[in-house]
Amino acid sequence: MPDGKGAMTERERVLALLDRKKPDRVPIWPFAYQGFATVYTGTPISDAYNKPRVAYEAQKKTCHDFGWVFTPMLGYAAYGGWELGGEIKWPSGEFAQAPTVLKHPVETPDDVMSLKVPDVKTAGIVPIMKEFYDISSKELLDNEPFNVMQFGANGSFTIAGNISGPDRLCKWIIKKPDVAHRLLQLANEHISKLAAYWKELYGVENVIPLGGEPTSANQLISPNMFKEFAMPYITEINKMFIDMGYRHLYAHICGEHNANMEYWAQIPMGDPGIISIAQEVELFDAARYFPNDVILGNVNPAIIQTGTPEEVYAAVKKNVEDGKKIEGGYIFSPGCEMPPMAPVENIKAMSQAVFDHGWY
Amino acid sequence: MATEERTKEILKGLHDSVYEFEEDDAVKWAKTALEEGVDPFVATMEGIAEGMIAAGEAYNEKKYFVPELLMCADALYAGLDILKPAIEASGRQAEVKGSIVLGVVEGDVHDIGKNLVKMMFEVAGWTVYDLGKDVPLDKFVEEQIKTDAEVVGLSALMTTSMLAMPVVIEKLRAKNPKVRILLGGAPVNPEVAEKYGADGYAKTAGTAVDEAINLLKVLKEEELGE
Repeated sequence: MPDGKGAMTERERVLALLDRKKPDRVPIWPFAYQGFATVYTGTPISDAYNKPRVAYEAQKKTCHDFGWVFTPMLGYAAYGGWELGGEIKWPSGEFAQAPTVLKHPVETPDDVMSLKVPDVKTAGIVPIMKEFYDISSKELLDNEPFNVMQFGANGSFTIAGNISGPDRLCKWIIKKPDVAHRLLQLANEHISKLAAYWKELYGVENVIPLGGEPTSANQLISPNMFKEFAMPYITEINKMFIDMGYRHLYAHICGEHNANMEYWAQIPMGDPGIISIAQEVELFDAARYFPNDVILGNVNPAIIQTGTPEEVYAAVKKNVEDGKKIEGGYIFSPGCEMPPMAPVENIKAMSQAVFDHGWY
Repeated sequence: MATEERTKEILKGLHDSVYEFEEDDAVKWAKTALEEGVDPFVATMEGIAEGMIAAGEAYNEKKYFVPELLMCADALYAGLDILKPAIEASGRQAEVKGSIVLGVVEGDVHDIGKNLVKMMFEVAGWTVYDLGKDVPLDKFVEEQIKTDAEVVGLSALMTTSMLAMPVVIEKLRAKNPKVRILLGGAPVNPEVAEKYGADGYAKTAGTAVDEAINLLKVLKEEELGE
């Protein structure tokens, strides 16, 4: 359901914002790459993670049908557990959303201290990701500002938590900070090697690195813990990406990070970066902390799943009207992954609200 | 037999070792309590449990976060491991404040929040039937019927697994309309809880027990009114 009246394509809209220019309309760039796209196109959710061709075609069709920005991506929130030597379970059954870690590669401080980062080329889901990006990098459609959205970038704390299990990491940052720091170093070592691998394969043109940070949210850790255990590692990784030649980074600040925002604001995000915020952070607060970056967000996914089309439309309209006032630029998205089972009528209402009210 | 002053010192030691998440100290003070004749029930309720309640308050006030609470829980359970056998040997029964079946619904393995909720209920004197994570939906119904628990607590952290909640609620209501159902987890909010037909919603582990107590009050008022 593209709006059909825009002078610019979704690709041009995003690139205009990244060039610090105003697009004709707010772009729609939802987190709908995984479950929603496969459910919408009639394939099992697990296909989003382990069938690259099916996953790519599902994302491509979904973004086309609803008039959205398309940035092909394959990854999962529990990334790191399998890649550093553990085991995962693919999503199955009626209510599962994503792969989950069955066995973490480390369980004790000694495990952490002796862990070696495996070869990234064969680590966990990476070969599947490569197959996916090999497909996506072959074409650049007019709704694609980037045709490779590199998963596994600036989520150092979350990846560390996935290696050990978040509860162990939480305990170690109090009782064994040296172990926690070592785990974070291992996470960054893996991210660095992965980044070098992706750059070798796909370059920096048409590529945007993406990282998500749910585990460092204030629902779990304090702002002081974020400052000591998350910020330095995310900063190191983002600096590395910028030094590698990536101009823009995409950071999904997942969950309630309000007390962390002053620290997030000190982390380099690119020129400009794309700051994806969850519904727990106010749009204008995010814009205040990131005046030179593009803010992406942040309607509550629960409304999209459980609301009526009228409620979804009203929530998106309000978000878009607020977002248009952000000087540094704004892209519409739900505050987190699009609920895979969200009713299509609600999705249509979401897009329609942007088509109706997103014009500058 | 410890003097009143020494008993106070031991109880403070137990309280502080839990609040300050010093697991070794909790073990040490629990052993001291038994060696010096402090009633293990008193040591548990007025020492260890009070320390955990104080930690819960610190969490609600954002002085503590999940890492501190997890460490407090380790200290709590380390102390309880020493004191519980002595309580059981004494034959003394604690007053049970209520009972709850708890679990993370099918399709979801995120259980940190559920485990904290479990601990807060235990500290508050509730009997907890913990079903764990990724719990098949019928299991909640079976366990509620088996235990006759007054409350069922459902947790979900994902938008797919939250869809299991109304299914469980319908199944529970069909078997026992009076059971009170409490929801928690990141994608849930009061509006969703109401829409799904739950009786209550707990935003954090710290508020879950108060919410459950309120549900029981309403239940008892309804029973008195019948």
